[in-house]
Amino acid sequence: MDKDTLTAVVEAILLTASGPVTVSAVTEAIGDRKVGEEEVATIFEAIGKNFEKPGSGLRLEKVAGGWRCTTPPTLDPYLRSFHGIAARQRLSQAALEVLAIVAHRQPVTLPEINFIRGTNSASVVRTLLERGLLRMAGRKKVVGKPFLYRTSKEFLVHFGLERAEDLPDPEDLVKDETATVE
Amino acid sequence: MKMVAEEPQGPPVELSVFSGPLDLLLHLIKQNEVSIYDIPIFSICDQFNAHLKEMQELDLDSAGDFLWMASWLLHLKSKMLLPQVDEGAEDPREELVERLLAYRRVKELASFLHDSDIVRRCLWIPEVAADVGAGEEAELDWEDVDLSVLAQAYLYVMQRFAASHPPPIKVLPLRFRVEDKMKDIYELVRTDGLVPLLRHLNSRSDPVEVVTVMVAALELVRLRGVFAEQRRPFAEIYLRPGDRTLGAQELLTRGENGG
Repeated sequence: MDKDTLTAVVEAILLTASGPVTVSAVTEAIGDRKVGEEEVATIFEAIGKNFEKPGSGLRLEKVAGGWRCTTPPTLDPYLRSFHGIAARQRLSQAALEVLAIVAHRQPVTLPEINFIRGTNSASVVRTLLERGLLRMAGRKKVVGKPFLYRTSKEFLVHFGLERAEDLPDPEDLVKDETATVE
Repeated sequence: MKMVAEEPQGPPVELSVFSGPLDLLLHLIKQNEVSIYDIPIFSICDQFNAHLKEMQELDLDSAGDFLWMASWLLHLKSKMLLPQVDEGAEDPREELVERLLAYRRVKELASFLHDSDIVRRCLWIPEVAADVGAGEEAELDWEDVDLSVLAQAYLYVMQRFAASHPPPIKVLPLRFRVEDKMKDIYELVRTDGLVPLLRHLNSRSDPVEVVTVMVAALELVRLRGVFAEQRRPFAEIYLRPGDRTLGAQELLTRGENGG
């Protein structure tokens, strides 16, 4: 299979896939012994680079262990106008805090989340479960056997992360640890 | 959440903008420009309570969290008033400082996620037609299977079952016949001369019977077997004998013979 055909195949798969596409899945789909995962990976990189120019409305990004076709954020107003969609709802402060706690300390239980936030977070956790940004991951073997929560694949996709570990360390984010002004 | 810096004596900020008591506490510390490691418990406690008083309405859940924090601050305040007997004793504020630091880290990460959320919300992905791969069930990642997915699947199955198995239609035996009621009312009018229809209807508890009696009365009026009169709107309706005599046969066939 020559490089042009290979590029065309990968592009077509990206356009029609409903989620992030892994290199291994594409390699398997091509089913050519001479085409290895390394070659497919370079094709992805090349396509991504090719999209990355001012005159292109397409972008390629690496999320949740795969590649996905998307649009530059700057085009959002036009797309919303075309699809007739008003401004979309953002995640609330409470939801973001719960996500931050789970992402940083997973697996984590609701009482632990409540303790760190200093306030009850049960309804926020429920909403995030419904939105698929959190998932349940068994129960903790302590009294009461509370559910353990983890971030989902959808979380990685939404925030453009390859793995949950790619989030910055909150210690590095705190700018002025000793906010003292005399 | 961006807090506008105000002078310490400024108007209290609405509490709903704070996601919890720790959030409010951090705000007060920032506003007073004091160190998180050396919180002036006296003034912070008073300011916290001032904010609490401004709380016009707050749901019970979060109000409890704020009140709990207020009581903790009061507890610390009283501890700070006591003379330190032991020099080596730990600062009573230590636990609060630790909680605040942990919460501040969460807030920083949340704010990072917020910025990321704003940008990433503007990304669009190709819309894949629903019938792509419709032949086979989409494969689920084991990682994505949890209780909520199972519960969803169960609810879906139950909904489908309910849709294909509608409850049987209940056929109730006919308990009241218009013909019987016509006969009853007609005989009642003939013997009593004047029958209050509404009172008669009100004395029945079964709605089916009420409807049957009403239809029977109307039928009798149509056949001129009885006359109905009402003095004014919504007043009692009186039935009195009409200008035609109805035979048993006519009553039974609902006057079809008599036209």
